[in-house]
Amino acid sequence: MIDIFVLILDFLAFFSIYLILSISLNLEYGYTGIPNFGKVLFFAGGAFTVGALASRIIAPLVGVNLAEIDFVKYNAFLGIKVTNFFAENPHIALLMFIALLALAMMVGAILGYLASYPAIRLREDYLGMVLVVSGELARIVGKNYDPLICGTFGVFVPDPFSWAGRLQSIVRVAVMLAIAYLAFLTVEKLSRSPYGRVLRAIRDNEVAADAYGKNIVKVRMQVLVIGSALAGLAGALYAFYMGTVHPDDYSPLKTFVVWIMVIMGGRGNNTGAAVGALIYLLVNRTISFIKHWLYAPFDVNYLSYLIFGAIIILILIYKPQGLIPEKPSETLDFRKYLKKTKS
Amino acid sequence: MDSASLTLLTFLMTLITILILFTPPDLLLNSLTFSNIISMLTVGLVLTYLTLKVPNFAHGDLASIGFYVSYALYRAYGLNPYFSIPVSFLVSGAVALMIYKAVYRVLQRRRADIVNLMVASIAVDIIIRTILYIYSDAMREYTRTFYRGFIFHDVTFRVGCYSVSFVAIASTIASVSMVLALYYLLMKTKTGIAMRAAIENPDLAETLGIDIDKMYSLSWFIAGGIAGAAGVFIPFRMASYPDTGWNLLLRMFSAAVLGGLDNIFGAIVGGYMVGLIEVLGIYYLSKPPIYLSSAYRPAIPYVILVSVLLFAPKGVLNLVLGRRCGKHD
Repeated sequence: MIDIFVLILDFLAFFSIYLILSISLNLEYGYTGIPNFGKVLFFAGGAFTVGALASRIIAPLVGVNLAEIDFVKYNAFLGIKVTNFFAENPHIALLMFIALLALAMMVGAILGYLASYPAIRLREDYLGMVLVVSGELARIVGKNYDPLICGTFGVFVPDPFSWAGRLQSIVRVAVMLAIAYLAFLTVEKLSRSPYGRVLRAIRDNEVAADAYGKNIVKVRMQVLVIGSALAGLAGALYAFYMGTVHPDDYSPLKTFVVWIMVIMGGRGNNTGAAVGALIYLLVNRTISFIKHWLYAPFDVNYLSYLIFGAIIILILIYKPQGLIPEKPSETLDFRKYLKKTKS
Repeated sequence: MDSASLTLLTFLMTLITILILFTPPDLLLNSLTFSNIISMLTVGLVLTYLTLKVPNFAHGDLASIGFYVSYALYRAYGLNPYFSIPVSFLVSGAVALMIYKAVYRVLQRRRADIVNLMVASIAVDIIIRTILYIYSDAMREYTRTFYRGFIFHDVTFRVGCYSVSFVAIASTIASVSMVLALYYLLMKTKTGIAMRAAIENPDLAETLGIDIDKMYSLSWFIAGGIAGAAGVFIPFRMASYPDTGWNLLLRMFSAAVLGGLDNIFGAIVGGYMVGLIEVLGIYYLSKPPIYLSSAYRPAIPYVILVSVLLFAPKGVLNLVLGRRCGKHD
């Protein structure tokens, strides 16, 4: 019984992380038409920020002098000390949590701003190549530059919810879901605003949007900054949830997973992106769940990549608009409008 | 625009000249092998790029298939990897042909846009790589030998005071004969001229009775075959894993963009430039004044890729090599 409860909590936590990622890609690709093949770069940016700073900024408060210890060796020790400190000081824990989320978003936004430099100049094929290899580079730096996140060993991230006692995991997942819902609402509002119309106009006909006096370069830059800030947020949440940041986790495969969700659910459609994330996670979690009963001479998780690789090709061939196709967006609240006209 | 690419080209050529002049010959030979491999792989990438105007993200995996075929033959029959090159050529070529027919052609006929084609090619890459992972794990389970991180043993012989490994010679022969064969095929034979026509202007070529689909299939088969043959040389130089091909993709992109992305002979030169700069560059960067970890090696082709795209996006080598084949923008 308790096992199922843990499973559901785990599922919801992953869902909130992937939901943020998929709606951020949907904003970039679905609404604006920027093919961001380097999502993992911004995701890793947020996660690496949390990994590098979470223990370090609290270290003076628990009486550890960072100059004296070898952080690479003692980061787990320091992390546990910080977690124990958080158990008694919920205010500081929450303050650090929020501050680091904000910082991770800022790092994501800065990376997005840098990425927008090629993104507004290059054609899709060149842009795809640059962004794919950029994602790979983030992993190489994380793996080999030890002071950042302790290289190949990974870094321990203290738990900012250790004060909640037995409710710890529930509180954590509730906070994550709330943040994901907030991000969803923001992007949904944005896409229904006049700004969202500009985005779709740029996607559908750049020349026409230009002729109507919209600043395409500026808008594409803004979208990449917003999308990358969201990806950084997702990365920070992922780091806090996993309790560790390990550079090999941030391979270009993560980018592809997010693309699966958006293409499967339907581009230009936030509900579709959410449904895509849900389906991906359902299949992925089921496969890692049945792993314990299935005997195979290889890691059963590989099956999930095989299945989704095939699914994505089939969807691209037979249903390129996704499971939930894009609908004309309701920029006005239609029911309110009807009521007003009746009265 | 042109002055920028000229500056970049001069800079790269000076860099290469300096590097070559001051490098010990055995390291040069080592970088030659690497450059041969990159050059052969890049030619295939550009050849497939020309047909559909989409970078094939699965191209590195065709090389992985090549060395896995060769390794499987070595394990099963004790066949020397050099003799299995034709088999690798055929298998990788067949896989490339199959991918083209089953995925890209179908998508293109349904008027999928370029982003969808790129997503599909990443999906193909993931599928091939996953199959290789599963294969290597399953074979390790059954045969109790390593199927990941293997190397091929090579013959070395001594020339003066230097030892020369056979792979440096073999890969050079393979690369040069590939260039000659491609030149002969594309410039002298009727099929090659039809291929170039189909690439340059598909509609016009079709009205003249050229079977476009057949020509594109042939391009994909040749590209995949060259990748598979080049793949056989990789385990002679480094420990090979299922994702080795994927890791080489960065070098291919860098070399292809340097050569102009739509210029086959530019790709050959670009491959040699990127290979030489990478191997010799990291050799000097990891030495005393800088002490850069050699793990940052991929940063060198990355810097080349980004600087070419920012300063000379049409490719540097088009200046020298003249007319681009397959203009499309």
